[in-house]
Amino acid sequence: MDSGMTNSDKFKSIIAAILQVDEDTVTDQLTPDRVDTWDSLNHINLIGALEQEFGITLATENLERTQSIPVLKSLLAQHGVVV
Amino acid sequence: MPELNSQPKAEITDAASAIAVLDAVAAQPTLVRINQAGRQIDALADLLGRVPLRLACLSSFTMDPLKASIELHGLRAGFRFETYVAPYGRFEQELIDPSSGLNAGGPQAVLLAVRLPDVCPALYDSFNGISPREAGDILGEWFTRLGTALRTFRERSSAPVLMQNYEMPLSPALGIADAGGPHSQASTLRDANARLQQLSRDIPNLYVMDYDGLVARVDRERWCDPRTRLFARIPVASGHYWRLAGFYVSHLRPLFGLSKKVLVLDADNTLWGGVIGDVGLNGIQLGQDFPGNAFVEFQKRVLDLHQRGVILAIASKNEPGSVEQVLAEHPQMVLRARHFASTKVSWNPKPPALREIADELNLGIDSFVFMDDSPVECDLMRKSLPEVLTVQLPADPAGYSASIDALDCFEQWTISEEDRKRGELYQAETGRRQLQAVVVDMPAFYRQLEMAMTLYVNHLPHVGRASQMTNRTNQFNMHTVRCTEDDIRRFMTDDQHWVVTVALADRFGDNGVIGMAVVDRGVETWRVPLFLMSCRILGRTVEQSFLRWIAEKAREAGGRRLEAEFVPTAKNRPFSGFFEQCGLRRARDSGDIQLWEANLAAGVEPIPDWIRVAVE
Repeated sequence: MDSGMTNSDKFKSIIAAILQVDEDTVTDQLTPDRVDTWDSLNHINLIGALEQEFGITLATENLERTQSIPVLKSLLAQHGVVV
Repeated sequence: MPELNSQPKAEITDAASAIAVLDAVAAQPTLVRINQAGRQIDALADLLGRVPLRLACLSSFTMDPLKASIELHGLRAGFRFETYVAPYGRFEQELIDPSSGLNAGGPQAVLLAVRLPDVCPALYDSFNGISPREAGDILGEWFTRLGTALRTFRERSSAPVLMQNYEMPLSPALGIADAGGPHSQASTLRDANARLQQLSRDIPNLYVMDYDGLVARVDRERWCDPRTRLFARIPVASGHYWRLAGFYVSHLRPLFGLSKKVLVLDADNTLWGGVIGDVGLNGIQLGQDFPGNAFVEFQKRVLDLHQRGVILAIASKNEPGSVEQVLAEHPQMVLRARHFASTKVSWNPKPPALREIADELNLGIDSFVFMDDSPVECDLMRKSLPEVLTVQLPADPAGYSASIDALDCFEQWTISEEDRKRGELYQAETGRRQLQAVVVDMPAFYRQLEMAMTLYVNHLPHVGRASQMTNRTNQFNMHTVRCTEDDIRRFMTDDQHWVVTVALADRFGDNGVIGMAVVDRGVETWRVPLFLMSCRILGRTVEQSFLRWIAEKAREAGGRRLEAEFVPTAKNRPFSGFFEQCGLRRARDSGDIQLWEANLAAGVEPIPDWIRVAVE
């Protein structure tokens, strides 16, 4: 990553890459019901990508697709990553 | 932590930039990078995908997450996959049901990724609860199911099926006793893998990939992620998707003519340590102790590749003569002049040197790998000749031999006698060309070669070589139709066809089997549905003589016409013009297919007197 990139930019860029959407659309309003690429399989990819990029390990229960951008953010916060 | 590219879309304008995108993924194959590249797959495919292939993936686990990695790896190798991924666990239905997605799609290759823990779980998670006999029954039942499904599919399709073998458990069922016991889990699983090999010999066009070897090489302890395995039946950890996809693709390459053939090496700081021009013959690092022993080890690995059929060459920026002197005189050199088909030593840039080598050897530049320690040379090569696979050696020579081991682009499913002596063959070729340089007229040159051509009709020991040639020969090939060993055997044993293989010897040595044709012997019309020849033999009137021999046989049998097709491809330009040289007439075109014919009643031109002909 460009070392100047903030955690917040990085977060957006990960979500955008995995869900194949533009970074601008990554807001708290983005939910699995609103993007058809946010299916159960891609959600697992999303969790995997967040783990890879932020160097953390999340619990299996987070693979469940009952989530939203704010939930993902607070999940990262629990692991010491503030976005 | 991996580097994240904030620009999701790199500019893809030409092959060099497309390859740069793939190389960036390979350098750090994170899910983000794989997805970013996957988003641009159409643009990448337009520039790199020269061999379209309908690939079907059948598996006992969820394989969808691997699709993007498989397609991107495929592009790096030259494939343009149209990928069908069957729902997990449905491999038997897919193989058996004539209307399944697999069968409806008409696949050209099938990956059968079945994990034994998925189909015979007792052998893995409760091995100690079953008797040796029960273990045998479980395996027996599984192989009956698998064999039935594969045979049913085989009746419908001749597409190659690549199966992965079965992995050893992370922790052996009997603990430390498992390694030695007669009925241990390890011995049971080894038996299962032996039976899988046997199946691949019993059913045509079935191949076994050493998946267990891959898992062991990479990291058995971290290969699987129990979270995704338990939650979504995705056993392989996401960090290994890229590696696994590359493994699958490397096994597909040799079946579709996409394996590399030539390794071009730099000399200074690649074959030895130091710069020969600066330190002289006795000053270079090459010998018993580090760093000299790292270079000796590297040379041994290169020699081993060469002895399974990889052609070697040198491209070095040096005073002409200096590298040759090391090859001839340094006592610690493992590689000698005879191992290199071509040695280019000059101060000129290396990309044109590689082009020259390609011309000399009559091989496409896309079958070349270039290895150098210099980032500048590597960068120039990537930009000038993106179709060459450029590998930069690491800074520490201790890592050099691992760079050779990591190459998965030279793979072949069978190693023939011709492969083992290919180096000599190309070395002799250089001798022939030198002769050509001093001889004035071509017939005199041909006579000095003392060529002896031997033709074999339906010679079963040549089945393997014949099939291999259809898979590897891209340039002097009428339409690059690939044949399996089974296809060849069928042609050889029916009454209608001849498979003619041709071997050539000359004063420089035996070239082995260098060409083949399939002949359909009609009553009035003889057709040649397949005709090809190794490029290193071209330009010596052997190719014309081979076709004339077939025409003469047809005429002797009472045939009135000889027919053959030419289908131009991106690579077989050397073939165009050939039929015309042989006196055939272009009768008509249908689409890309040109139909050529000769009237045999008018007689057949004799084979030139400088080629001796024998028939076996």
